Amino acid sequence: MIEVEALTKRYGSTTAVDGLTFTARPGTVTGFLGPNGAGKSTTMRVVVGLERPTSGSTRVDGRRYADLPAPLHAVGVMLDARSVHPGRTAYKHLLAMAQTHGIGRARVREVIAQTGLEPAAHRRAGTFSLGMGQRLGIAGALLGDPQTLILDEPVNGLDPDGVLWVRRLVRDLAAEGRTVLLSSHLMHELALCADRVVIIGRGRLLADATVQDIVEKSERAGVVRVRTTEPEALTRELLAAGAQVTPQEGGALQVRGASVDEVGTAARRCGATVLELAAETGSLEEAYLQLTGDAVEYRTAGTGAGAR
Amino acid sequence: MSATTTPVAARAAAAARTDGPTFGRVVAAEWTKLTSLRSPWWTAAVTVVVAGVISYLSATASSVDPGFEPARDLSSGLLLAQIGPLVLGILYGAGEFRTGAFRTTFTLVPRRWPALVAQAVVLTAFALVLGVLTVAACVVGVLPAAASRDLPLGLADGETPGIMLGMVVFVVGTALLGLALGALLRRTVPALVTALVVLIFLPVVLMTVSDPGVDANGMALPHSVTPAGAIGAFTPGTAAQLLTTGASSDGMPGTPDLGPVGGGLVLGAWIVLLLVVAGVRLRARDAR
Repeated sequence: MIEVEALTKRYGSTTAVDGLTFTARPGTVTGFLGPNGAGKSTTMRVVVGLERPTSGSTRVDGRRYADLPAPLHAVGVMLDARSVHPGRTAYKHLLAMAQTHGIGRARVREVIAQTGLEPAAHRRAGTFSLGMGQRLGIAGALLGDPQTLILDEPVNGLDPDGVLWVRRLVRDLAAEGRTVLLSSHLMHELALCADRVVIIGRGRLLADATVQDIVEKSERAGVVRVRTTEPEALTRELLAAGAQVTPQEGGALQVRGASVDEVGTAARRCGATVLELAAETGSLEEAYLQLTGDAVEYRTAGTGAGAR
Repeated sequence: MSATTTPVAARAAAAARTDGPTFGRVVAAEWTKLTSLRSPWWTAAVTVVVAGVISYLSATASSVDPGFEPARDLSSGLLLAQIGPLVLGILYGAGEFRTGAFRTTFTLVPRRWPALVAQAVVLTAFALVLGVLTVAACVVGVLPAAASRDLPLGLADGETPGIMLGMVVFVVGTALLGLALGALLRRTVPALVTALVVLIFLPVVLMTVSDPGVDANGMALPHSVTPAGAIGAFTPGTAAQLLTTGASSDGMPGTPDLGPVGGGLVLGAWIVLLLVVAGVRLRARDAR
């Protein structure tokens, strides 16, 4: 369980995280989404005690990270790939990590096998590809068999096999009752493995909901697409009924403010033959862009108010 | 691919009791970290070779003097060879920060300072062995010159055992000073430049400035302490050099005579001070 409460982190005059509150619960994969620079990594670094909050607090299993008696067993952490000395082999890196918590070599070999690092275990980490580096980071996070996992962009640079493996892994970990917080700047990636999504932009919380909720809340919800032999006649009919109509390519119309049933009835009234009629569902990507776009606007307004 | 075969709750309960980062475990981890890099091994090898070669050259050059005493040339190789342990310490201390590896270290040891203390402990052990090997190389280096004059080395005679002990402490102290500077400045090059200025350049300058010189007749003035000499004796560089002098030597001209033990204490105080400042900085600052 990870609790972030009213977290604010400033560097001088720059605000990286601004009053952020969310909870990642056990048994759930919580996706942590936002554009680059939104404050995802900063939030994660505060949670694992690398940085101090300017105000607010973060807790893991009800405790401050620094107060955890055995951090490696409580929280598996994978921050960016630059958390490994490039001159050390993968095996020695993991062994040194394990030794701080009295974990044996057998467990080190186990996570190396589990993450598919065996062929590279005795190579220096500096020679690793991005994907191998990610696997090493994940191996380190799994080492202490922790209840909670914090993974910063784990699929970055992985080949398709690796991406599938990570999705499967985080789903399995959550199914075992663990808390998984996984960041990404790719909405569709999270849609495939996260139960909930916490979306931030410019350090502020934009949405904290299930993937389904976010799609339904998107602007596209309530939009109907219709293709007809008489687009002009149907447009007149729909406008008269108070709907908004946007012409599309190939004689299709995009209709807002009318349900599928209402559009069908309208078509019958004006004698247009309906070739295609469907409610449009927004894609996650659109929902996400819309949310983050709003954040930019809101942010601009907020800055003006703050300067008053 | 399942992550575990044991119930999570049971493992977590066991973990909370006994599996934290105790100081002994952190020391073991740091030993793995130090010895799994290449730089400690090549800096150690270079140190031993340079110490041996310079001692050999120096002893061979002075062996033509009528009053040649092989044991006096033992520490001649250290002036140059000290760069080895210095670089060793700096690379170890700054390496964590230069590479980002500190993120891993500090998430494992959230209190942070035990990791720094463990680094000092591990480096002391490593440098102790390096110091003994370096002294051995120096002894081997002066052997040919001694043999050419049929002179005994006399390693157990007079002040020689003390000087050899001082040389080992010198190597350990130099490495620890490098660690402290590296951990404090967090970048390799600034730490190295600072260390070279403090350990090599500053002592030479202060020694030159502080020398009372000669009187009108060209006779050396009696030993007296000058202000520059007084400051110089308390710099880590001069203090370190005092370690390799005999207990009965007069010290350097114009400096208060601290002797090898006093020099060692001054150097030790510098190391502790810098490590404490580095430790305070670790606690107080964000680790991005």
